[in-house]
Amino acid sequence: MMIRSSRFRAEREAGWKKMETLVTVAEANGMSALSYEQAQSLASLYRQAVNSLSVARSISMDKALLAYLDALCARAYLVVYAPQESVRGAVLRLFTSGIPRAVRRSALPLFIGFLAMVLGAVVGYLLYFQDPEWFFTFVPPSMSDGRAPGASVEYLRSTLFDDDRQGGESLGVFASFLFSHNTRIAIFIFALGIFASLPSFILTFYNGLLLGAFFAMFAEAGLGYELFGWLSIHGVTELSAICVACAGGAQLGLAVLLPGNITRREALRLAGRDAVKLMILAGLMLIAAAIIEGFFRQLVQNTELRLIIGWGIGALWLAWLMLAGRGPEIEHDL
Amino acid sequence: MKDRRIEIVPPEGVPVSLNVATAGARFGAQTLDILITFGGMFLILLFVIFTNFLDEGLLVSLFFLLTFFLRVPYYIFSELVWNGRTLGKRIVKIRVISADGGRLTPHQIVARNLMKEVEVFLPATTLLTGNFGNGWTGFAIIVWMCAILLFPLLNKRRLRLGDMIAGTLVVEQPKAFLMPDLAAPKVKNASGFVFDVSHLNIYGRFELQALEGILRERPKTPDARQRVSDVVRTIRRKINYVEPLLPNDHWAFLTDFYRQQRAYLESRQLFGDARENKFHDKSKD
Repeated sequence: MMIRSSRFRAEREAGWKKMETLVTVAEANGMSALSYEQAQSLASLYRQAVNSLSVARSISMDKALLAYLDALCARAYLVVYAPQESVRGAVLRLFTSGIPRAVRRSALPLFIGFLAMVLGAVVGYLLYFQDPEWFFTFVPPSMSDGRAPGASVEYLRSTLFDDDRQGGESLGVFASFLFSHNTRIAIFIFALGIFASLPSFILTFYNGLLLGAFFAMFAEAGLGYELFGWLSIHGVTELSAICVACAGGAQLGLAVLLPGNITRREALRLAGRDAVKLMILAGLMLIAAAIIEGFFRQLVQNTELRLIIGWGIGALWLAWLMLAGRGPEIEHDL
Repeated sequence: MKDRRIEIVPPEGVPVSLNVATAGARFGAQTLDILITFGGMFLILLFVIFTNFLDEGLLVSLFFLLTFFLRVPYYIFSELVWNGRTLGKRIVKIRVISADGGRLTPHQIVARNLMKEVEVFLPATTLLTGNFGNGWTGFAIIVWMCAILLFPLLNKRRLRLGDMIAGTLVVEQPKAFLMPDLAAPKVKNASGFVFDVSHLNIYGRFELQALEGILRERPKTPDARQRVSDVVRTIRRKINYVEPLLPNDHWAFLTDFYRQQRAYLESRQLFGDARENKFHDKSKD
């Protein structure tokens, strides 16, 4: 006579073995390697195996059996609950509803992001007029490239409207260099947000300071309008991208600072849903900005045209983010 | 780290356990992936250089663009298509799973791999190039980057920050191997040793499973046979089994004892009397 747990095992062992072969195939080549009948039987065999595991835990003392069922169910679980989205579907959903919705949900972090930049710019502007020496405190010499207080108006103007310096080919290098530099800054701003938002705020604020001081210097030379055009053409996109990255960081920081009734890890996980989308958006905007900067800024030398292009593109971003994906709520948008 | 097992509750509601991947395995997979991505980039660049239709400046920009447009998608797409396994992870047999027991979503994969840029590649390249300021800021940057890189070592589940944000875990690919049932009856042992309740009342589950471990392998050397005899002697003394026993019958004695002990304990368990170990009598006091 067999004892109960041995009988239990003997009756079900064939099913487990059958599932094991199916799982092995699916693990190596994906679910698509299984035929329709096989896939169907895998699903029901999986449920039976999980059931067996649950029963075996209460009736069997056979350690080998328990370990086997545990591992087998884990393997089958990983095959049965594999990601099902196609890459194309996931990307499409991200653009049509994921990102715009995340942006609309993150009003507060976005406010923090833009606030940091604007505050920085205002402070930089005011400090410059108080004492132009501040300029040297904010702006590293490598960045100012001769554009410092006291430079001649002609020189400053030439930096805004240079027609012959860049040839067609080096544009690409210029763009991608700037792109990788800005991307790095944006990544830093985003990643540092996890430390209670403060570092991202400060970095964005510092970017604002630079901007404000630069603007004040050109305004002093009477070139404020021209600089505004020069900055607008790509800056509307690029500076917004940095603010958006800051917002993503702030999102994470807020979760760490004010988790509410859930644990910080859980709060971080929840905030991550939108923060990551903000970061993807920031990345896209930076790519767009690099393209504009590399090709249009040098080609378009007219301030009015620069303003139109820059703010027009800004309006397009805004339209996308505000209008797309307004439909019935879907449970998981990416 | 000894206890690497964690429990995941799939939607079916029965917990399954998995082993958290070791830091060494993670590092190995990461290194392989880096070799693969950089190898791919290198091949593309080599191809471009050979076909010779780009000048030097554009090559540099191509390199920058490739790092970003090849590396990030590589991790995301491979984990999406191969269910949480990049090529490197496939080779070292580890994988990403969703910690909540659901399926791995694209969001989770994207989140953990975007964070990877920040917490793996950025610190690693910065530390390797040694390109940071001097003085206190430089020092702070070094400390910060080391802290980020070593973060997974500081928690039990080996979570990166990206894992934490995405709600994912990296585990070893489970291996299922079914060993024969020791309690399945064999004809030749049908009329073997018989134990009564007083013999079977001594031990609990822990001892039974320890015995199962011993019985998994027949002794081949004199040393091993001696150890089996020691076990038999201890069991006989403990359960007060006084019948004479030939050395040749030691193995049969143990198998029979295992079978009857297991049947007894399992039926006790069904009646609500779960016996964890040999102290089950004392723990009731």
